Amino acid sequence: MKAILHLLEHDFRNFFRYKWWLIGLISMNLADLFIMAIVYNQMINPEITEQIRSYFNFFAPGLTVTGLFASAFMIGREINIERRREVHHYMLSLPMTRTELAVGRVLSGGLRGIVYMSPLLLTCFVFLGFPTVEQFLLILMVLLFLAMGISGLSISIAVSTTSLEKFITARGLVYYTLFFCSSVFYPISLIQQLGQEGKFPMFLVRLAEVNPLSSASDMIRSFLLGYPAFSLDMIFNVLVFSTVFTLSAAFVYIRIIELK
Amino acid sequence: MLSVPDYFQYYVAGLSVMTLYSAAIFIGFDIYEEAEHGVFEYLLSLPVSRRQLVLGRSIGGGLRAFIYVGPLIGVALYVIGAVNPVNFITALFALFLFAFGVSGMSITIAVMIKSSDRYDILMGVLDALIVRLSTAMYPLAFVQEANPLYGWIANFNPVTYTADLFRWGTGIEAIITLDNPLIPLLGVIAFFSFFTFVGIIIYERRIEGGGWQ
Repeated sequence: MKAILHLLEHDFRNFFRYKWWLIGLISMNLADLFIMAIVYNQMINPEITEQIRSYFNFFAPGLTVTGLFASAFMIGREINIERRREVHHYMLSLPMTRTELAVGRVLSGGLRGIVYMSPLLLTCFVFLGFPTVEQFLLILMVLLFLAMGISGLSISIAVSTTSLEKFITARGLVYYTLFFCSSVFYPISLIQQLGQEGKFPMFLVRLAEVNPLSSASDMIRSFLLGYPAFSLDMIFNVLVFSTVFTLSAAFVYIRIIELK
Repeated sequence: MLSVPDYFQYYVAGLSVMTLYSAAIFIGFDIYEEAEHGVFEYLLSLPVSRRQLVLGRSIGGGLRAFIYVGPLIGVALYVIGAVNPVNFITALFALFLFAFGVSGMSITIAVMIKSSDRYDILMGVLDALIVRLSTAMYPLAFVQEANPLYGWIANFNPVTYTADLFRWGTGIEAIITLDNPLIPLLGVIAFFSFFTFVGIIIYERRIEGGGWQ
């Protein structure tokens, strides 16, 4: 346990080394909310406005989840750099078990995501209203699991790619597939409707439904805005994603860095 | 979902301009790379004037961005359909000038700041503001309706000028209600001239007698 705490400290120190970069990233997220979402408010079709009431309100939880995704993914970039600079030999020489090393990295990636996302979640609460204590704890728990899953996914990609360019390309593919094929920017009912009308491939509709970003955004919306209806599937989707990628990251991280 | 007619066409045209902007910015990162590896001093030692160096780099950065965004512009043209050749050539000229202007701006900021971290942050924030406070993603009427201040800023934004000109050139001006294409064209020319001129002055003042450090 102590070894994991040391790893957390190491990764958090690295994270705050980029504090100005993080401030820049947060201001970009806020520009999305306070400029883009407000303008889209004016452009939304009245039928959709009836469903979601305000695009600003609809988008705020989605933005929180995208912020969490981007920051939890950062651990992968660091691990990719460590691997290329062969710092992983030093990491492997530290007095801790391989499992502690792997779990520590996944956990710190997830916790960093939570820290980064906090101001965005707070902004969400300020403008949309505060949840009950139980709802708040559930939101935090689900977001932590989501962040760990994302960090696991990022680590798996980082150790499987040999160059930073390949990592960045793979990251772009994952980002855009998961962001745009989810309910972060538009309601899931709209994606389903487009699927039924044959305007959107059904496999992408299915992906959007099980996408953990959709589940987490919709869960926050259900608590703060009252739509869509809360369902246990939302938690289940995030838990499955988190379990799969946390375990695979731990396994792949140890296997690959021991081989190189 | 949106109440804007032909929004897909509108967005594709805006996306081309946004990508062109992001690609043209990259020349600034190259300058830091060159500085890190000592290539900057070598460039200064070449038998070319500072003016030629800045102008050459701005045009090179702009052309490179243009080649990068070429396929996307091709897709945009395919989606939008037939175009008036004269309008389109004017719009293409504006896109070129815009790309050169953005490269000039990127070089100017990179040389002024001399710190890749701060540059990275500033360009990120600038990108967020300059693109979102423009008509790249939404028509001006909606920006003005959302907030008059946003509308006012968008009115003087080079991204707005370029996006509107590109849409005008590709024949979808009905959505943008562009009264006089000469105004955005002059705006883009002013943007290009300002950053090329300022870029040259700053480059000479900041770099001379001490190189990058």
